[in-house]
Amino acid sequence: MPKRLAYSLPDEVLEHVFSFIQSDKDRNVVSAVCKSWYEIERWCRRKIFVGNCYAVSPKMVIRRFPQVRSIELKGKPHFADFNLVPDGWGGYVLPWITEMAGAYPWLDEIRLKRMVVTDESLELIAKSFKDFKVLVLASCEGFSTDGLAALAASCKNLRELDLRESEVDDSSVHWLSHFPETYTSMVSLNISCLGSGEVSFSALERLVSRCPNLRSLKLNRAVPLDKTANILRLAPQLVEFGTCTYSAELRSDVFSNLAGAFSNCKELRSLSGFWDVVPDYLPAIYSVCSRLTSLNLSYATIQSPDLIMLVSHCPSLQRLLVLDYIEDSGLEALASNCKDLQELRVFPSDPFDAEPNASLTEQGLVAVSLGCPKLQSVLYFCRRMSNAALVTIAQNRPNLTRFRLCIIEPNTADYLTGEPFDVGFGAIVEHCKDLIRLSLSGLLTDCVFEYIGKYAKKLEMLSVAFAGDSDLGLHHVLSGCESLRKLEIRDCPFGDEALLTNAAKLETMRSLWMSSCSVSFEACKLLTQKMPRLNVE
Amino acid sequence: MCMELQLGLALPGSDSWSRPLLKLGLYEDINVNSKKRGFDHGYLEDEFSAASFKNYEKGLVGWPPVETWRRKKLRCQVHNHMTAAENGYCGGRASNSTYVKVKMEGVVIARKIDISIHQSFETLTTTLMTMFDIFDENRRSFKLTYQDEEGDWLIAEDVPWR
Repeated sequence: MPKRLAYSLPDEVLEHVFSFIQSDKDRNVVSAVCKSWYEIERWCRRKIFVGNCYAVSPKMVIRRFPQVRSIELKGKPHFADFNLVPDGWGGYVLPWITEMAGAYPWLDEIRLKRMVVTDESLELIAKSFKDFKVLVLASCEGFSTDGLAALAASCKNLRELDLRESEVDDSSVHWLSHFPETYTSMVSLNISCLGSGEVSFSALERLVSRCPNLRSLKLNRAVPLDKTANILRLAPQLVEFGTCTYSAELRSDVFSNLAGAFSNCKELRSLSGFWDVVPDYLPAIYSVCSRLTSLNLSYATIQSPDLIMLVSHCPSLQRLLVLDYIEDSGLEALASNCKDLQELRVFPSDPFDAEPNASLTEQGLVAVSLGCPKLQSVLYFCRRMSNAALVTIAQNRPNLTRFRLCIIEPNTADYLTGEPFDVGFGAIVEHCKDLIRLSLSGLLTDCVFEYIGKYAKKLEMLSVAFAGDSDLGLHHVLSGCESLRKLEIRDCPFGDEALLTNAAKLETMRSLWMSSCSVSFEACKLLTQKMPRLNVE
Repeated sequence: MCMELQLGLALPGSDSWSRPLLKLGLYEDINVNSKKRGFDHGYLEDEFSAASFKNYEKGLVGWPPVETWRRKKLRCQVHNHMTAAENGYCGGRASNSTYVKVKMEGVVIARKIDISIHQSFETLTTTLMTMFDIFDENRRSFKLTYQDEEGDWLIAEDVPWR
């Protein structure tokens, strides 16, 4: 019966039905139903996501999907963010751009993460894609303001230019001035990563004033605070704003101008930036605080009392990024004020000091887990932890989907009992059945991996450092975690046996990264023989 | 004050004095709490500071897992010319670490070595050889060099062990 139905529907109808199916997973399933669906689907797929740019060649992508409009590519492994991947490893985007320039003239969106992007690539994009709209370069490097100038000059329909956390070389060209006076399309501009020399304020002002659809603007720190008010008055429709340097001598005229400008921004929901924060200027944002859903204070080196004052004005907060200066007391205030909180990230203000410089312990996280019923995503750096706290957190918040804990000193034990954290993390994976991401730290034996293999059935990404006793640990994870896609391990005694025994598992994953473990070169060679379609380095 | 001492290991006869094979760098963590920090310490955007992020007490690269760009942004905050600056300190104390970064040509990932536990170039070289898996018989083929503050590469053994 289903077979006849498939043949009886004309292609255009099927294509129309497929157009409602956006997710890659669903699209992949659709294309596996039968040959004709595969054919129809491949011609109408418009968005491609390649999680590991070495998993497939651009030619193969183009051959299968000839009419793509939007592509997302990821290059280097996650640990590249922490200097663990050597220079020259790869992740070059030019081969992809070169192929797509010929094959996809209507490509309008390119999103890249951890890739090496050269000015040549940017110039090729500017030249090749007439209707180019969206460029997101997340944690990329290799390009300069010359490349940005080429984009600005050519892409008249550019809507989004987001350079989040990329490293951009300053070629001293005033690239913002390369946007022609007729250009008015900007919707989202994130230049927070740029250095001091790279943004001309007057060009920025002119750009903002002629782009009425601008919704998201994240400035770099070179723009002085007294200019912020000017920008805000030109764009009161902003939904997301990343401030520039938030520091100046306290002057009442600057303050009231700033406060006035903020109060005009009725749509503002997200604030970030706040470099060099002077606490006296914080009240300037109070008028928007009640509507704020996202607040990134992770560069704001202000102390707990000021942080508490700020969060107590933000009852609608869903996402908070903050330094450990918030302390346990600040997190307790957060727990009682922000009942809609879904995501919390607490970063260390001084990661390399053995002694804590802020009174932040496991208590803060426990308080938030208790007070914030919608909490799903946690990233927490601290210097002490207990199994009891982890068990409490797990029981309080079984709805956690992402739990990343970094106890700063490797191999730290439970400060109350001296035990490893096997039981604590075991509780997390047992209670939080929808957990998709987990990062472990502290003293851990093979036991924790047994728990993870047994309970973490939805886990997709696992990060492990300085943990485990033997190969058994790795074996538990590879054999037990059915949904595992990304595994990154450093400084663990995991070696050849677990890897070779579970070789078939690797083909179901996006990537496995191991550094300073016990894997031998011979085992890697054996692995490539066993699994010839794997990229092994 | 920070010392920029870099040692290099090079094959003799190679024209590698300009590009040394083994680099040691001594980077001292800046005492960010000190009110007497020089103005130049306020802007930490040069390579020096990027390298100092790698200088941990345990000599661990990439730990704790805080992104490089995040560390740079946090460190780059200016504390001086603003009157309310005393509120905005990066925190932490100066590290007394004597770890230096060691780089050998052809080996991309640098290692760490604690200079203070060595008493002579002999012991330092022996440890470095073990670290980089250079066999004893090849020992003579390598030379230890260092880069001084001016960027000149000099033979380490010419300088008395301090």
